[in-house]
Amino acid sequence: VGTALSITSAACGYGFTLLSSDTTDITKVWGTGLNKDSQLGFQRSIRDRTKGYEYVLEPSPIPLPLEEPQKTRVLQVSCGRAHSLILTDSEGVFTMGNNSYGQCGRKVVEDEVYSESHLIHQLNDFDSRVVQVVCGQDHSLFRTKKGAVFACGWGADGQTGLGHYNITSVPTKLGGDIAGVNIIQVSSYGDCCLAVSDEGDLFGWGNSEYLQLASVTETTQVNVPRHLPFKIGKIKEAACGGTGNIVLTEEGSVFVWGYGILGKGPNLTETAVPEMIPPSLFGWSDFSPDVRVARVRCGLSHFAALTNRGELFVWGKNLRGCLGIGRMEDQYFPWRVTIPGEVVDVACGVDHMVSMVKSFM
Amino acid sequence: MEKTKQWGWSPQWRKCCRGRKRKNTLHPHKERQHLPVAAEQNRQRWLFAVYKPPGVAWNRVRDAVETRLLRELNAAPAWPPRSRIRFLPAASAGPPGLVAVRVPVLAEHRLVRGPRFTQLKIGAGHRLDVKASGVFVLGVGHGNKILSHLYNCHLSKVYTVRGQFGKATKDFSDTGKLIEKTTFDHITREKLERILAVIQGTNHKALLMHSNIDMKTQEAYELAVKGLIRPMGKSPPIITAIRCLQFALPEFQLEIHCLHETQQYLRKIVHEIGLELKSSAVCTQVRRTRDGVFTLDDALLRTQWNLQSIQNAILNCQLRVKTEIEKTMSHWDGTCAPGGTSTSPLG
Repeated sequence: VGTALSITSAACGYGFTLLSSDTTDITKVWGTGLNKDSQLGFQRSIRDRTKGYEYVLEPSPIPLPLEEPQKTRVLQVSCGRAHSLILTDSEGVFTMGNNSYGQCGRKVVEDEVYSESHLIHQLNDFDSRVVQVVCGQDHSLFRTKKGAVFACGWGADGQTGLGHYNITSVPTKLGGDIAGVNIIQVSSYGDCCLAVSDEGDLFGWGNSEYLQLASVTETTQVNVPRHLPFKIGKIKEAACGGTGNIVLTEEGSVFVWGYGILGKGPNLTETAVPEMIPPSLFGWSDFSPDVRVARVRCGLSHFAALTNRGELFVWGKNLRGCLGIGRMEDQYFPWRVTIPGEVVDVACGVDHMVSMVKSFM
Repeated sequence: MEKTKQWGWSPQWRKCCRGRKRKNTLHPHKERQHLPVAAEQNRQRWLFAVYKPPGVAWNRVRDAVETRLLRELNAAPAWPPRSRIRFLPAASAGPPGLVAVRVPVLAEHRLVRGPRFTQLKIGAGHRLDVKASGVFVLGVGHGNKILSHLYNCHLSKVYTVRGQFGKATKDFSDTGKLIEKTTFDHITREKLERILAVIQGTNHKALLMHSNIDMKTQEAYELAVKGLIRPMGKSPPIITAIRCLQFALPEFQLEIHCLHETQQYLRKIVHEIGLELKSSAVCTQVRRTRDGVFTLDDALLRTQWNLQSIQNAILNCQLRVKTEIEKTMSHWDGTCAPGGTSTSPLG
């Protein structure tokens, strides 16, 4: 990146990464990785000024069509399979990339060529200011300040939660069990979605082939948000992966359910009911009883947890060494990653992870 | 009876003394020890921790504690001596004959027998060399056996190590022969953190390798939950955690959690950190703040090396030591313990 700015938000997509800073400079967002569907905007090639790069090899600035580039700040970025969302504080949400399912929030154009496209769409039409954007594999979720959730994109697994299995190209408000509920966090990465309300309740919709929602329904696709009545305490944060889900409660306990390497040894491969991961695996012991998990994040087949001491614990499938533990084998229970600094936030992708680290000073 | 030589290593002498040495009883000609003495010895069965000051060898500390304890035990009021009836000749004024008189048994008098305790079996746990200071575990009597079980538990120890950039000496400490002096202005805390992370990473790998467990098994998960992933046999020194507490050029302070180490190894680590940062460093202080379950709060200062505080310290630590040994041994008992013993530790 080469500047003295601090990166405030990072997101990993399926083969590409976005980094953003909340500065008022002209360049606020950098991207690197795959750009075959212009998910990193148009990266002008140096050799041929009319063509763009299909692979970006180092973090390059992404030009945004802002009305007031020196006043607007970028709050958050999010990446899906082939599209990305950029959230600003006063100019709504910018979307770019693949739109074959309407996940960018604009009308689907037949036979549109997405590579080397200059098109960046701006979404401003919500009931209140958007405070969080989340990308699933081929759909997008927007959470507004009033606590409502909007969705657009592919819906064949019901991940848009709008009551049907068709694609949606305009962000539409969700109903079901979350109508009227003040949602404080939404999460999605594959085809399943989770939402947390301010009272600590958990709602889920989308794909349930891996028992993610099997506690409330037997169907494998749920297209209306359903309340998940787990008796594990007030939920603070939830994260959705490809086949497994993870939640963090107010007391700092971590629960996992779903399918795959869940974090309780090789014997636990699937469960429909949340199982708690013992806190001693995160560094809690008689000598340090105040160590608690502060954040949980989920990639497609691996999990990450941040403790209040700034330590990062990862577990799951180790695709191409994405866990960063120094070995190439899968990790079946949380293992600490040695990082020279205090980890502030982590973003998990399919086979890579990005962590934002603050030096100890 | 023919006079046989009963001294030295002749068979008759050995036969006479053999039983005494084995059953730990007194010589058959001496009196048996009293019950209150045995009760006091029964109480001192366990472990306590002492703060070893720097500049003193560990065996001197052990001897000093032993001398103090012996002095206090011998100064304790003894039971009144037994008395027996003896038939003594009557006083000259009365009728002649024998009169029954109650006299004290002089053979049990303190001045005749000598001090009640001449030796106490005090064993030492993980040693500290002359320049180091900190928590030093000692065990009295039966506690010595517990010491060996604690050793087999392979619990980690925590040290605070102070270092100083700019010098390099022959024995890695600030009192050694100076070899070179370097500049250190380029060193920042961030660079130090990076080096520490690298050290921790390599030691993490070594920890896994020497623990001999396959990370893919359910057993590994259960061990990790209980916090028992550590090498249970002989292994080179392993650092499980290291972090920087203070950083004020040229001095810095590190907290190191380690296993199977020696204090000289820690000084060498400080020297190597200096080399990695393209400068040099010496170690000014090595202080053990925790040894297994004993922390600085449990360690007794020199002013507290008396019977009462030692007894209180033993009672405080008893439960912790017992739970820690049970936790470790219950896992390895029955399964093939790699390198450790599998006898039941608690009698």
